Amino acid sequence: MHEQSLFASVPVHQHHELLQQLAGLTAMQPRHCLERRLIFKAYRKPGMAGRIGASQDLQQGDLQRLNKMLNGNMYYTQVVGPVSESDFGSTAPIDRDTQMAGMDDSKPYDSSSPSYDYERQPWKLEFRDIPEAGTRSAVTSRLMSSATLPRGDVVEAMNAWGYHFITEYVVEGDMFVLNDIAIFLHRVLHYPGGDESSLPRRQLPALKDMTLFEKSGSYVLQAFIIVQDGSNQETMKTASQHLFGLREQLKSAVLLEQADRLSLDTRAK
Amino acid sequence: MPITGVYFIPSNPNASTALQVITERLRAAFPNEELTPIGRWGLEQKLLRDTQGLLPSSNSNKKPSNPRYMQFLSLTHYPAHGFIYTSEPEKPIPAPNQNQNQGARGPVNAIAPDHSSTPPMVMTTIPPSSYGTLFQHFTYACQPFWNHRFTLAVPNGIVYEVGDFRVRLGDVRQTFPTARVRGTVVEIEWRGPSVVEAIPVDREDGSFDVGAGGGCDVDVEVAGIDLASSAIEESDIDAEYAATASLIREFWGRLGVEAREAILIPNVGREVKDRLRRWKKAGSGADTKVDRTGFGERAEDDPDPWSGADVARQFMEVLRFNR
Repeated sequence: MHEQSLFASVPVHQHHELLQQLAGLTAMQPRHCLERRLIFKAYRKPGMAGRIGASQDLQQGDLQRLNKMLNGNMYYTQVVGPVSESDFGSTAPIDRDTQMAGMDDSKPYDSSSPSYDYERQPWKLEFRDIPEAGTRSAVTSRLMSSATLPRGDVVEAMNAWGYHFITEYVVEGDMFVLNDIAIFLHRVLHYPGGDESSLPRRQLPALKDMTLFEKSGSYVLQAFIIVQDGSNQETMKTASQHLFGLREQLKSAVLLEQADRLSLDTRAK
Repeated sequence: MPITGVYFIPSNPNASTALQVITERLRAAFPNEELTPIGRWGLEQKLLRDTQGLLPSSNSNKKPSNPRYMQFLSLTHYPAHGFIYTSEPEKPIPAPNQNQNQGARGPVNAIAPDHSSTPPMVMTTIPPSSYGTLFQHFTYACQPFWNHRFTLAVPNGIVYEVGDFRVRLGDVRQTFPTARVRGTVVEIEWRGPSVVEAIPVDREDGSFDVGAGGGCDVDVEVAGIDLASSAIEESDIDAEYAATASLIREFWGRLGVEAREAILIPNVGREVKDRLRRWKKAGSGADTKVDRTGFGERAEDDPDPWSGADVARQFMEVLRFNR
């Protein structure tokens, strides 16, 4: 699958107005979304790549192919899970079997309060390649994949698959759909208190305690089309034309443009 | 999740497989059973190995130690999900902060005695729509550490019902990198009464679906077992697995065919015990209901994401050819 997108920066004072413009344009109410995003990095044992030894039991061609693979690119990838506003600042569901005594939650448990259960959190693995270089059309085009993962703790499986957890953040925003274009007006929130945790959080702090990544509070507008068959030049071209059409429609409000390719580099060094 | 055993009979590329022999032996061993196929089944397995382990090591004569595998398996009799079974990394990475988060999954690893030399493996189940996507992801974005070695398929297997057993057999063909015959695989499923089947499947909202047994069609009442959660202990499950394994072995023994066997392999029964633990917890009065309304995209929900994990492990055990 390929994702083609255009981006615009939206200052915070324009946010409300743009939401209404988009609602008018798409003839739909904004769908508010909150997403937890976990960042994972591909892992390889250090100092092993490119070592060539005796090759009795391997064909020369095989060996070359293996070495090429060993020196291939590795990537950061995200694991994304939808959450709701009531998940923030709520307690974990009470659990008499597991030892909760060690956790320093001073709040008394109230059975009517909403709870956030990490063990039932749905997740998706969202991979984005570095945007293609030297494309003739002026849109950001990148290879992508999206796969549903099991609910709950994904770290054990991700570690086994070769990824380790780096950090996490939250995205809040509103989603619109216009024909084949998805429009996502969003911004990034950081957890309060920095990144001491080496594991994803099992409970979420209150939403008002989350800090803005971009201090001015500005939003990013991303308009994107997902093309199932990226090798089909015809559909790729149609998609970018649709994006240019949207750019024209929004021209008086925001400037949609291609993103800097290297700023979207997902390769792990 | 029924208790099963899997047997594999390898064959030479140009010889005929054992399929014919086994079918005849089945007919001969159970003359009172009508041996008519009741259905078809199929399987596909993709095996990946750690790329590094494939390189000859620089100090020769030393075999690469502890190869790591990732196996993708799909079974037509568990259409709701695919299975991914992956070797654990040699040491936990990053050195986990041993805080209270670990406590919750403490007892999980203490299930079956692990006497294999390869690292323990992690089972994951994913919806069918993600199965191909994830495989492509690993072969595209993870080349430095995962290398696709081969794909195997049972394109049209046959299902027989023999007494209290259901038998699935079929020829295993390698379809990648070169097409060749690998052998014959046989799955024997116990369909009689079982404590394991009496443990209800927990639903999405944390409640329990007594007797509905999502994915498997053995009715608890028909099985004649109606137990409270307090009446079943984990040791009962171990005993049940051991007892059923001997029934399956006896069944296979009557056929007199030599084969590679996978029944009581490491981690078998793990999901059943997890389910029992959750059921006990729900029964003990803790409120496990979670308000999840207002949650959109639910098209891919799987009523019982862990069904078939045991038989998947068994298939992957016998089909994990070292290459």
